[in-house]
Amino acid sequence: MFLYNLRIALLSLRRNSVLSMVIVGGIALGIAVATLFSTMRHVLAKDPVPDKSRALHYVRLDNWDPLKPYPGDDPTRPPTQITYQDMVSLMRSDIPVRQSGMFKANLYVFPDPKVGRPTKQMTRLCFADFFPMFEVPFRYGGPWDRHADQGPEPVVVLSEELNDTVFGGANSVGRMLRIEDREFKVVGVLDRWRPPVKFYDVTQFAVQAPEAMYVPFNFVRPMKIQTVGNRDGWKSAPAPGLEGLLASESCWIQMWVELPTREKVEAYKSFVDAYVIEQKKTGRFPRPLNNRVTPMMAWLKEQRVVPNEINALTVVSLLFLAVCSLNLMGLLLGKFLARAPEIGVRRALGARRRDVFVQHVIECEVVGVIGGLLGILLSLAGLAWMNGWAKTLLTRDDFFRLDLPMALFAIFLSLLAGLVAGLYPAWRVCRVPPAMHLKLQ
Amino acid sequence: MLEMKSIAKVYRTDLIETHALSEFSLHVGAGEFVAIMGPSGSGKTTFLNVAGLLDTFERGTYVLDGQDVSPLSDDQMSRIRNQKIGFIFQSFNLIPDLDAFDNVDVPLRYRGLPGAERRTRVERSLELVGLGSRARHLPSQLSGGQQQRVAIARVLAGDPRLILADEPTGNLDSLMTREIMDLLEKINEQGATIVMVTHSPECAARAQRQVHLLDGRVVDFEAAPRLAGREMARLAPSVG
Repeated sequence: MFLYNLRIALLSLRRNSVLSMVIVGGIALGIAVATLFSTMRHVLAKDPVPDKSRALHYVRLDNWDPLKPYPGDDPTRPPTQITYQDMVSLMRSDIPVRQSGMFKANLYVFPDPKVGRPTKQMTRLCFADFFPMFEVPFRYGGPWDRHADQGPEPVVVLSEELNDTVFGGANSVGRMLRIEDREFKVVGVLDRWRPPVKFYDVTQFAVQAPEAMYVPFNFVRPMKIQTVGNRDGWKSAPAPGLEGLLASESCWIQMWVELPTREKVEAYKSFVDAYVIEQKKTGRFPRPLNNRVTPMMAWLKEQRVVPNEINALTVVSLLFLAVCSLNLMGLLLGKFLARAPEIGVRRALGARRRDVFVQHVIECEVVGVIGGLLGILLSLAGLAWMNGWAKTLLTRDDFFRLDLPMALFAIFLSLLAGLVAGLYPAWRVCRVPPAMHLKLQ
Repeated sequence: MLEMKSIAKVYRTDLIETHALSEFSLHVGAGEFVAIMGPSGSGKTTFLNVAGLLDTFERGTYVLDGQDVSPLSDDQMSRIRNQKIGFIFQSFNLIPDLDAFDNVDVPLRYRGLPGAERRTRVERSLELVGLGSRARHLPSQLSGGQQQRVAIARVLAGDPRLILADEPTGNLDSLMTREIMDLLEKINEQGATIVMVTHSPECAARAQRQVHLLDGRVVDFEAAPRLAGREMARLAPSVG
């Protein structure tokens, strides 16, 4: 009977093609807008490392000014990054399974002159654990080992794009690349890695693409590398230059740890608190003890990776879909009631009220699905336009993608919209007394 | 087959009450072919709607094929309409989007018969009314007589015990009228009970029995010509 009702629905759509197009168009418009904004929100809110995000924690210490809290919406929150000296101390802990302090810098790369001119490339200085901790995919080679962190050894991991530019996309593992004033050996080339948000560093612009190069953190001192990320401070450095910065209370390093069990989380928190209490004896950390070891998703939420504006737009777009559905209710009601004589015939021939109801609900759902598919196509066009905008602003053109869960969500919305629009008209038409319209047929 | 006793049916609006059927009683035996006649507004269509379980009634009892229909739910009445009653309407009442085959198939769908049995019944019914070769024609591609024959095939496919026909030849010319009446007689001879509302004395004459209605009641057969004359007299000034 379902297939029969489906056929009847399609015949009905064909019969009133103009009206059907208006109804389908209304649903399509609502679905397109709702899918567009829901996808934007979904992209930003998606768990970037779903397998292990619960184990990943962001570390903060409150070394801020005793007279005023760290600026922001919430005065109880500590600074979003930590100092170099604290990072070095925390990295000595053996509680985390993996850990890495990190920051970004802009370094000159000198490719073979035949290939191109020197260019500045965004570079992440980090520890070896960065790669397995965030499940960074490799095309060639792999990350450097922890031993290389200590030297530090001149090793580098390249992004797929930079490897394409500098080495023509070949397996460049083992080849040398000059970065600033020294030669680095390529140990790994990333596979295409495009997390929706740059979740490991959301202190600036969370939707940027990942960096082009990764070098061991400890080159910060020998190469005198300065951060190009945020640097927050409340106290003058004890000395000028890089050495002063490294010894200062300036916060410019992001610190991540992998703590797979609750016990490890508690142990690490205790370790951090103990460290700060110890530091207080030297006159540092003048504010009350306020350290945070925050799970990844909570940290991303706290940093409003999904801006309130996107949340609001998503709600408004869903309300717009609801308004579209409610408007279509009137059109469907008129369409169905105009068919009352046919309903009378069907009832005379033995159709029960629920047969008539189901027939019309299926017709509404057919309208919803056709409108939904059209709406998805429209939203894909909208997303393509948004990606054009993102390419200019974020230097990436794959930011907004309609993945399978969102496509299924759009289909679900379509069915829901069809149901909202058609439930009342279907109920009304199944209540039509069968005798009333038989003479009119 | 059909036993109505003291049936009352009232249509109400805010201002007036119309007694469409009043103390209406009728017995139709199994296998009978009965013609219901009467002037406009005499309650013929209301009677058919009540008899066909398409409309409810206020008072009285109605026993159809041995079953009191008063306490039946809407679903139960739908089932009876589907399995025991066949309708033939003046304006054919075919579904315009469906071809002849699918129109005949409609009641069988609601009966939940398997596809193969439905196909057999539909094809056999269309053959019986002489439209086997027009099975894939839409109603708009058929003449009035052919449409009425499709409607009769729809009834035949359901194999009902009672056929209710409302002016089945009202929209047809004399040749088509004769064909349709021949068909109805044939169906009746095969055992189906037929109750036919008609204005046509010629058609009524082919039934086994004529029942005359006036003001929602069955009136005495002998009085019918007199009543009919009075009705004509009532209409005469406006006609003239």
